[in-house]
Amino acid sequence: MTKRATMGIGLDVGSTTTKGVLVDLSRTILASALIPTGSSAPVAVRRVLEELSQASGKDLAGLPIVSTGYGRTSVEFTHEAVTEITCHSVGVHSLNADIRLLIDVGGQDSKVIKIGPNGRPTDFELNDKCSAGTGRFLEVMARVLEVSIDDLGPLALQSTSPCTISSTCTVFAESEVVGKIGTGVAPADIAAGAHSAMAAKVGALARRVGLTTPIGVTGGVALNSAFRHYLSKQLDSPLWIPEKPQLTGALGAAILATK
Amino acid sequence: MAEQEKRTEEKVYRQLRTNSLLQQIMFRYMLEGHAASENGRLAWITSGFPVEIPVAMGVGVNYPEQYGAVIGSQKVGPQICGFAEEMGYSQELCSYARSSIGAARYPEKSPLEGLPKPQALLACNNICGTVLRWYDAISEMTGAPVFLFDTPPTQGKQTPHHREYVRQSVMRLIDFLSTTFHTTFSEERLREVGNLSGKGIDLWTRCLKACRNRPSPLNCADRFLAMAPIVSLRGTELAVEFYQALLEEVEGRVAQGLGAIRDEKIRLLWDDIPPWFTIFRFFNGLAARGVVFPADTYTHAWSGSLSGADLVDSVVSVYSNVYLNKGLEAKVDKMCELIKEYSLDGFIMFSVRSCKRYSLGQLVSKELVMERTGVPGVVIEGDMVDSRLFNDAQIQTRIDALLEMFI
Repeated sequence: MTKRATMGIGLDVGSTTTKGVLVDLSRTILASALIPTGSSAPVAVRRVLEELSQASGKDLAGLPIVSTGYGRTSVEFTHEAVTEITCHSVGVHSLNADIRLLIDVGGQDSKVIKIGPNGRPTDFELNDKCSAGTGRFLEVMARVLEVSIDDLGPLALQSTSPCTISSTCTVFAESEVVGKIGTGVAPADIAAGAHSAMAAKVGALARRVGLTTPIGVTGGVALNSAFRHYLSKQLDSPLWIPEKPQLTGALGAAILATK
Repeated sequence: MAEQEKRTEEKVYRQLRTNSLLQQIMFRYMLEGHAASENGRLAWITSGFPVEIPVAMGVGVNYPEQYGAVIGSQKVGPQICGFAEEMGYSQELCSYARSSIGAARYPEKSPLEGLPKPQALLACNNICGTVLRWYDAISEMTGAPVFLFDTPPTQGKQTPHHREYVRQSVMRLIDFLSTTFHTTFSEERLREVGNLSGKGIDLWTRCLKACRNRPSPLNCADRFLAMAPIVSLRGTELAVEFYQALLEEVEGRVAQGLGAIRDEKIRLLWDDIPPWFTIFRFFNGLAARGVVFPADTYTHAWSGSLSGADLVDSVVSVYSNVYLNKGLEAKVDKMCELIKEYSLDGFIMFSVRSCKRYSLGQLVSKELVMERTGVPGVVIEGDMVDSRLFNDAQIQTRIDALLEMFI
C-alpha cells in the first residue's frame, strides 16, 4: 500500500464464531459482524467481510486486515496474523484503559491476560488441553439439561441450593450431571453447580497470573449472567464487561490493522 | 556444487560442518556397543550415572535415554511406546521408559533393531526415580542385573553423612562391576578416564559459553545433537576429538561474526528436553522468525569434571549435585543465571509430560524467573518422544503471544 489506510479490519476466527470489526483511525467502530464459523473458516471470513461492507456501506477493497483467533493463519488475504492474546489486550485497552487483568472465555479456550499500561500483554495463561472452563463445557451442560445455551444462565440464577459438580472434566461432568438428573436434583441447581464449577476453574487460572483489579471479562461466555455472577463471587471482585464482549479480539485486530 | 552452496546459503540456519564427524563418531559408538554386548561386557546406563567408573573398568555402555531420542527423531515414538502400552504400561509413564521397554519387547520392529542386549543395568536416580523401575522391567526381560547408584535429593548444602552414603554407593558399584564383569578397578585408570571426561566437558562448556556472543554461534537443535558424545562417550578420546573440532568451528563462527541463524533478533532460553520428533521443524521455524536459543538448561547439565586427589569424593560431588537432584530453587537460580549470562530476552519452558522430575514446578519457576529477571516467559506442553501429546495449534498460540511481547 502506498498511501496510509483510513480504516482497518479485524477478523477473529474462533472455534465457534467468526467475528469482524471495521474501525476508522479514531478507533470508532464503523461496523461489526458475528457469524458461526461452521466447517469452513475461509467461507465464514468472506461472509463476515460482506456483512461489514453492507453494514458500513464502504468499499473494503485494499484495506489492511489483521486476523486473530485459532483460524488466524487460514485467512488468505490477511496482512498479519496476531494472537488473540495481544488482540484482546489491545481491544479491551481501547475500551477501558484501566483494565490490568483480562479473563477471556471463548468456545474452546479460556485465557487470562495481564495487560501492561501500554495495552500490550505482559503475562498470560491459557487453559490446558481440556474443555472444562470453556464455552464448550456450558454447551454440553445445556444439551444434557435440554435447555438452550441462552437459557442456561438464567436457569442457574433461579437456584437456591446449587449442587456440587466435582468433576473438572467436561466428559466426566456430563455423566455426573446425568446421574444427578436421575436422582431428581432440580435442573436449576445442576445448572448453578455447572457454572460454579466453571467459575472455580477459570478463577484458579486467573489466580495463577495474579489478581489485579479492575478485572475485565470478554468472550462469548461473558454474556452468560450466571457465569458472571459465580466468577465475581469466586474472585471476590466486581467485573467489567464490555457491551459486546465477543468482539474485543476483532476490535484489537482492527486497531492493529490501522497502525 | 555452486548451486548446492547457493541452496544452503538460503536456509535460515547454518548447518554445522562438524555434524558429519558427529555421525561417524556415533556410528562407531553403536558398533562398539554391539561388540561389547557380544563379548558380554555391555551395561545400559542412565544419563546421569558416573560413567567414568564402568569405562575405567573396561565395561561398554549404551544409553537407553539416547536411544529414546533416536526413536523420537525417527518419529516412531507413538508406535514403539504403543508396544509397552500393549504390555500394560500406562501412557502416563515416561516415554523414554516406554519406548525402551517397547523396543526391548519388539527389537525387530524398532529403529536400529533395538539396543544391543545388556549384561548389566546401571541406574542412577539423580535424574528421576522412574529409572529404577524402568531398569527393573528391562531386567525382567533380559535377565541383566540392576545396580542402583542411589543419590538422595538434597536441598541446600549436602551433609557429611549424605556424602558418605553416596561414597559407599561408589564402593558398591566397584564391587558390582568387578563381580559381574570379572574386572578390576584401578585408581590410575579412573584418573585417566576422569581426565578425558574433564577435557571433554571443558571443551563442551567452552562451546556453550561461546553462545554468549551475539549472534550466537549455536542454536538449540545444534546443541541437542552435539551433546550426544558428552552424554554417551564421556571419558573417551572420541568425545575429546569431537569437541575439539566443534570448538574450532564455533570459535571460527564467532571470529567471523556468523550466527547459527542468519538473522538473529530475539534470544531465548529453552528449558527441558526438546520434542525430538519435531526438533528441526520447531527450532528452524522459529529461526525463520529471527528467534535463536543461545542457552538451554538441558545441555548445560553435563558440566562437572572429576578432579582432585580424592577421585571418589569428586564422583560424589559431581553426581549427587546435578540440579535435578536439588530443590526447585537450584533450577530457578540456574535459569536466572543463564538469562543474565547469555543476555536473553525471554524464555520458553517445555512442560514434558513424561519427565515429571524435570517439569515439576515449572509454573512457579516461571513466575520466579520472570520476577527476578524481568523478562517474559511461557510454558508450553508436550512430550519428548510421544508426539500424541504435542498439540501444534496450542503451542503456536502461546509462542506467538510471547514473541508479540517483544515487538
